[in-house]
Amino acid sequence: MTAVALNEPVAHQAGGGLMRRLNIVTALIGGVTFGTVGWLIAHLLLQDGDHGSDQVVVIMLCSWAVGFMVGIGAFNGPINWLLGRDQTHEDELFLAGKDQGIGRYFRFTTDHKVVGIQYLIVTMVLFAVGGTLAMLIRTNLISPHSNFLSAQTYNALVGLHGLIMIIATIIMITGPFGNFIMPIMIGARDMAFPRLNALSLWLIVAAIPVLLSAAFLGGIPTGWVGYAPLANQAPPGMDSYSVTIIIFAISSAIAGANITTTVLTMRARGMSWNRTPIFVYGTIASVGLAIPAFPMFMASQVLLQVDRTQGGNFFVASGGGSPWLYSNLFWLMGHPEVYVILIPALAALMEITPVFARKPLFSFNAAVISIAGIVGLSVMVWAHHMYAAGWAPDLNGPFMLTTEMISVPTGLLFLVILGTLWRGRVWTTLPMMATYAMLWNFIIGGVTGIYLSDVPADYALHGSMFVTAHFHYTLMGAGLTGAIGALSYWFPKMTGRMLARGPALISFWLVQIGFNVTFMGMFAVGLAGQPRRVVTYAHLFATGNFVSTIGAYTIGIGMLFLLYGVISSWRGGEIAPANPWGAKTLEWTVPNPIPLENFLVMPVVTADAYGYGEPELPPVEPAVDPDRVPAHAGLAAEESL
Amino acid sequence: MSTEPVSTRAAADARRLEIRNIVGIWLGMTVLLVIFSLWVPARLMGPPASPTMRAVEQTMTIFSVLASPVAALVWAIALYSLLRWRSRSGIQPAEDGPPLRTHGPSTISWTVTSVILCVVLLIWGLAEMTTVSSAATAANPLVVNVTGQQWLWTFSYPDQGDVESDQLYLPVNRPVVFHVISKDVIHSFWVVQMGIKIDANPGQVTKTEVTPDKIGVFDVRCAELCGLRHADMETSAHVLSASDFAAWITVNGGHT
Amino acid sequence: MLAKRALIGGAAVLVGGVAAVTLTGTVLAQAGATPGTTRATVNGTANTSQGVLPHAFLDLATYPDSMSGAHGGSGGAHPDWVSYGPTPNFSVPAHSLVTVTIKQYDAGETITNPYFAKPRGTVDDNMTVDGKTVTQVDPDAIGHTFTVHGLPTNQDPLFVSVPLPAVPDDAPPAAGSDYPAPRVITFSFITGGKGDYVWNCEFPCGDGYYAKFGGPMATQGYMSGDFHVV
Repeated sequence: MTAVALNEPVAHQAGGGLMRRLNIVTALIGGVTFGTVGWLIAHLLLQDGDHGSDQVVVIMLCSWAVGFMVGIGAFNGPINWLLGRDQTHEDELFLAGKDQGIGRYFRFTTDHKVVGIQYLIVTMVLFAVGGTLAMLIRTNLISPHSNFLSAQTYNALVGLHGLIMIIATIIMITGPFGNFIMPIMIGARDMAFPRLNALSLWLIVAAIPVLLSAAFLGGIPTGWVGYAPLANQAPPGMDSYSVTIIIFAISSAIAGANITTTVLTMRARGMSWNRTPIFVYGTIASVGLAIPAFPMFMASQVLLQVDRTQGGNFFVASGGGSPWLYSNLFWLMGHPEVYVILIPALAALMEITPVFARKPLFSFNAAVISIAGIVGLSVMVWAHHMYAAGWAPDLNGPFMLTTEMISVPTGLLFLVILGTLWRGRVWTTLPMMATYAMLWNFIIGGVTGIYLSDVPADYALHGSMFVTAHFHYTLMGAGLTGAIGALSYWFPKMTGRMLARGPALISFWLVQIGFNVTFMGMFAVGLAGQPRRVVTYAHLFATGNFVSTIGAYTIGIGMLFLLYGVISSWRGGEIAPANPWGAKTLEWTVPNPIPLENFLVMPVVTADAYGYGEPELPPVEPAVDPDRVPAHAGLAAEESL
Repeated sequence: MSTEPVSTRAAADARRLEIRNIVGIWLGMTVLLVIFSLWVPARLMGPPASPTMRAVEQTMTIFSVLASPVAALVWAIALYSLLRWRSRSGIQPAEDGPPLRTHGPSTISWTVTSVILCVVLLIWGLAEMTTVSSAATAANPLVVNVTGQQWLWTFSYPDQGDVESDQLYLPVNRPVVFHVISKDVIHSFWVVQMGIKIDANPGQVTKTEVTPDKIGVFDVRCAELCGLRHADMETSAHVLSASDFAAWITVNGGHT
Repeated sequence: MLAKRALIGGAAVLVGGVAAVTLTGTVLAQAGATPGTTRATVNGTANTSQGVLPHAFLDLATYPDSMSGAHGGSGGAHPDWVSYGPTPNFSVPAHSLVTVTIKQYDAGETITNPYFAKPRGTVDDNMTVDGKTVTQVDPDAIGHTFTVHGLPTNQDPLFVSVPLPAVPDDAPPAAGSDYPAPRVITFSFITGGKGDYVWNCEFPCGDGYYAKFGGPMATQGYMSGDFHVV
C-alpha cells in the first residue's frame, strides 16, 4: 500500500492561473484563432501571383500549429522563465498530471505514462483513419473499372493513406511503449526531459489536422513519397504535406534526443549494457536512426516549399534544379525509416519471446550486434529505390551489395528468436502468437525484398504492386504484428487490466489470414505487371485484385474486433496482477496502478532480465542510494508508517 | 560411454529424435517450396519477350529456390515448437525451459551460411547485370527516342527519318537502345514483358536497352505515379518481323 | 449478462466501423464525381472503311475560363481555369463513326510536343478547321488538344488526338458574346468495342503551375474527363 501513498490527493491549489487551465479545448481554440488570423493576414497581403495560394496555405497551417501549441500550454515553461518565475514544486506536480484524473490525458502532461497512453490513442486514431482509406482504396480496386472513386480522389487517398500509415507505424512502438514502458524497464522515474516528451507528442497531435487538411486542399496527388517535380505541380494539399513533415521531423528529433538521453543516462544502478533489455536497444536504435534520417526529409520539404511558394528551382530541371535531388533526400530518410519502424517491433517480439518460451533470450550479443548492424547498413542502401531512376547506373552494383548485406544481420534476428523458442516451454498467449505470425510474414517480406535488391529483377518489378505487397509484408506483417503483440503484452501494465482473449483471438486470425490473402493477391498481380497507385487496371489483373479486396475487408473486420477488445477490456476487463506473465524486466516489479514516479525505492540490477530456468540469484538488496532518493521518499516513508 | 547414466542417454536419444523430426519437417517444407519456386513466380510473370525478361524470371526462380530451405528452416522450427514444445495448460508453464543462452556452432554456421548466400546472390546479380545490358554494346542497335509526358508516351525513330508514333514498333531480334526523356514530371518507361524499366526524367536523357526476341503485342506502362491519368498512361509495343518493321517505317514516311 | 453485453458492444463497434467507412466512402465518391456526361446523338448511318456504321455526333467547346461549361455561370471554385464544355465526361456508341465538332474559344502558343500538332487516329488522319480540311496545324499557335486514350489491354485500343488551333490573342469579342469568334474543328473516328477511356488536353495550359500541367490540367472536370464507349 505504500505505493499508493504517493497518489493520495494533495489539497488542490486554488486557482493556479490561466496556465493551469490549458487543455486540448484551449489548444483547438488557439489553433483555430491563430490559423484564421494567419489566413486573413496572408490572404490580404499575398493573394496575387502564381504562388499566392500556396503562401496563404503555408502561413495558415503554420499559424494553426503555433496557436495549437500555445493553447495546449507548450510554451508555459519558456514564458515563465522569461517572466523570471521559477517553477515551484507544485507546478511540477501539476505538470506531471498529479490528481487530475482523466483530465491529465487531455493536457500538456509530462508524466511519461500519460504521454505513452496519449501516443497509444494517437496511433490508434491514425490507424483508424489510414485503415478507412485502405478500405476505400481496395473498394475502388475491386474491379478494373469500378468507377467508385474518381481518379483525382483515388490519387489523393493513396497519398494520404501512405503518409498517415507511415507516421502511425513510426510512432506505434516507440511512442506508446517507448514512453510508457521503456523508462520503467530501465528503472527510471521519468524520461530525461519530461517536458520535451509532452512537446513531441503534442506536436504530432498538432500535425494531424494539418495532414488531414490536404483532403480539402486538392489532396496529395503524389503518393506518400511526394516526388518532385510532381509535387511542384500539385495543388495546395501538397503544402499540408510539407508542413506536416516539418512538424513531424521536429517532433521526432525531440523524441529522439529525449529517449536516447534517457537510456544513456538514467538506467538503474547495475544495469550495465549487457543487462539492458533488448527492447531498450530496439527503442534507442529506432529513435537514434530517426535523428539523422528525418532532417533529410525536413530539408526536402523546406526546399520544396522554396520552389512552391517562392518560385525557387531546386527540383525544376528547366531552372537548373534536379528531381533526383528530391529523390535522394527522400530516400536518405526513406530507407532508414523502414528500420525505424521495423527494429522496435522486432525488439518488442524479442522481449516477448523469452517470457513465453520461459527461456533466456538466445544469444543476446548477436541480437545487439544485429540491431547495430542493421542501423549501420540502413543508411547506406537508399539508392536501391532508384535503380531505375537513371540517376547513377554505376552505383547500382554497390547499392545491391549493401542491400543484400543487410540480410545477414536481419537473418541473425531470426536465429535469436528461433534459438529462444528451441526446446522452450511455449506458452501461446496473444503476444506469443504475434511472434509466430511475424516469423511467417517477415520471411515472405524479407525474401521478396531480396528479389527487389537484385538490379535486373528490380527493373522488372519496381513501381509494380509487387513492391507494395513486399513492404506491407515487412511494415504490416512484421511491424504492425509486432506492435499488436506489444500491445497485448504490456496492456495489463498500461491499463491495469488484462486484454480479453476472445475478441483479440478472433481479431488475430482475421487480420493474419486477411493480410496474407490481400498481399498474396497483390504479389500475383504485381508479378503479372500491374503498376502501383493506379485507379484502373487491365482485366487480366481482375481476379488478383478481387481477392486482395476481400482480404482487405477481412483485415478491416479483424481490426474492429481488436478495437472492441481494447475498449471493452480497458473499461471493464479482468483486473491484472502486477506481473501476469511471470516476466523478469523491471516494469513488472511496480504495482498497478503505477505510482507517479514509478519506483518508491530505486531498483538495483544484479542480472539481466532473461534468467529463465537459471538458479535464483540472491534477492536484490533494495539499497537506497542517497543520491537517488525519490522526490517524496521522505513523505512516503512517513505516510507508510 | 557405457558408464553414462541411463536417464542421460535416454534424454540424448530423445534430443536426437527431436532433431530428426525437425529435419524431416524442414526437408518436406523445402521440397514443397522448391516446387512452388520452380512453378509459380515465373509463370505469374508470363512468357518472356526478351532475353532480359528471361534472365529476370530465371533470377526469380533461382532466388526462390535458394530461399526455400531458409524459409523452411524457420517455419519448421516454429511449427515444431508449436507442436511439441507447447505448454498445453493455457497458464504459465510450471517450470522454465533449459537456460540455453548461446550455442556457438549454430550461430556461426547460421551467419556463415547467410554470408555465403549473400555473396552468391551478389555475384549472380552482377553477372546478370552485364548480360542484360549487352544490347547497349551491340553493333548497329536501333535507336528509339521515348518521350513521356502527362499522360502519354510518344516514340520517334531518329535514324529512320524521324518517324513518330504513339505506339512502340520494334523489329524482332535486333538490339534496341531507348533514349528516354520527360516533358514534365517523372514517368517510368516500362515494357512489361521485356523486363525493362527506366525513369523518364525532365531535362535528362536516360537509357535502357533490350533485344526483343518474340513477335507479338506487349504492354508499355508508366511505373511512376505521374498525376491524374497515371493509370491510363499505357500503350502497346508491337514486335514485328524485320520486313514488317521496314514496311511499317516506309508507310509512315521513313526510310530504313 | 456479461456475454450479452459483450455481444452488444462487439456488434456496436463492428457496425459503427463499417458505417464509418461506408459513410466516408460515400462522401468521397460524391465529392469526387464530376458533373454530367454528354452522350453523342446517333443520326443515321455512314459508309466507312469498316462498312456501314451508325453515325454519332458530339458537340464540344473549349473556353478560356469556367463560366460557360458545367461549372455554372459563376464558374464554380475556379472561374479563371480553362475548361471544356458542355460537360467534362462524354459517351459515344461502340462500333460507330463518331463525328466531333469542337468550338475553340481560347488563345494559345507553342505546343511542347509537336507530335500533338497533327490529328492522330481520326478518319484519314485529318480534320477540318473552319471548314478547311487539314492534316496538321501551326505548332506555334495551338490552343488545346482533344486527346482520347486509355488502357490498350483487354479492351479495343482507342487513341484519337486532334490539335485545336488558337484564336488570335488580339481577337475582339464577337457580337453578343464574352468570347471572340471560335475556331470550329470537326473530325471523325471509328470506335471499336465497349470500353472505359479518358480524355485530356495535351497542350500545357495550366498557367502558373509547374510545366503548365497543374490546376485545370490535373483536375477532372476542366481539361480532363472520362470517355466511355458504350
